[in-house]
Amino acid sequence: MNDLERFEQELRILTPAKPPAEFIERLRELEPPTSARRTSARREAGVRWNWTHLLRWLVPATVLLAVAGLVWLKFGQPGSQRGRPLAVSVSPPLKADSVQIDEQLVGAFDAVGRLPGGEPVRFHCRQWMDNVVLRDKTRGVVIEQRTPRVEVVPVRFETY
Amino acid sequence: VNGDLQHGTANLLGWEQWLEAHASRLLLFARQQARTEADAQDLVQEAVIETWQRRKLPEPPAVALVFARIRRRAIDLARSTDRRATREAYTLQETAVYWFDSTAEDRERTRLIEQAMRALPEIYREAVTLKIWGGLTFAEIAEALQIPANTAASRYRYGIDELRKLTREAFA
Repeated sequence: MNDLERFEQELRILTPAKPPAEFIERLRELEPPTSARRTSARREAGVRWNWTHLLRWLVPATVLLAVAGLVWLKFGQPGSQRGRPLAVSVSPPLKADSVQIDEQLVGAFDAVGRLPGGEPVRFHCRQWMDNVVLRDKTRGVVIEQRTPRVEVVPVRFETY
Repeated sequence: VNGDLQHGTANLLGWEQWLEAHASRLLLFARQQARTEADAQDLVQEAVIETWQRRKLPEPPAVALVFARIRRRAIDLARSTDRRATREAYTLQETAVYWFDSTAEDRERTRLIEQAMRALPEIYREAVTLKIWGGLTFAEIAEALQIPANTAASRYRYGIDELRKLTREAFA
């Protein structure tokens, strides 16, 4: 046994001062929580426990839900649009058996103007109505789209 | 019901024995952590209750956990109270409480060690107290003081060395 160990032994001989009797009495009254006592104590505190615990979780949960809702409202829309092609892809795509494109001349006229340099110029204008008809015989679908179109061609006086 | 009663009696016996074995060492540690005797006693009581309730078992709590709880509560207490006012109000009371029991033969020696203990820096004193009179391992001391185990061991060794220097005359 070296010096240090001997010194430790000397210290261990010292006993911590005995606690005052009234303090020991106080501790003794803490009473060990037996299962029966514990149950009744829990039951007494039951209502208070429920409310405090409920509030403790309810408040942050509500805030979280509100934030999540705001985020969804702000950024959720593109996400839902992103989801749309998924829905479309479920149904089979259209198969066009025949496509007809019809260009119908509705009107034609000339207009005269001047360039910034003062040179006269003539515009030859034509109004068209494009008619596209798409048919899918297997699904019995006919899609028709009519689009008006204006064609403007500048013509120099000399060439005209 | 009989089972519960028997269980309760067993706990009661366990609690008495537990108090007998640990109350004085817990109070010693609490006295070193608190500024007044009343605070020290409150620290022990609250630490025992808290540790017990956290474990949710009828058996008395592990003493190492109670030491750890005492220290945490002492830190909270020191933060919450006006230190200067407390120190001035209770200086006399502090000096009146002895940390160790002594007989007529070894009273002088015991008082010398106690003085040396009081003179030790707190970080070394708590490591020495928990090891020598608390009976904790270095791992448990580390847990209680929230430091690495190596640090706990080195603080203990340094504390013991210092204590030996301070009490050399008494053991010569």
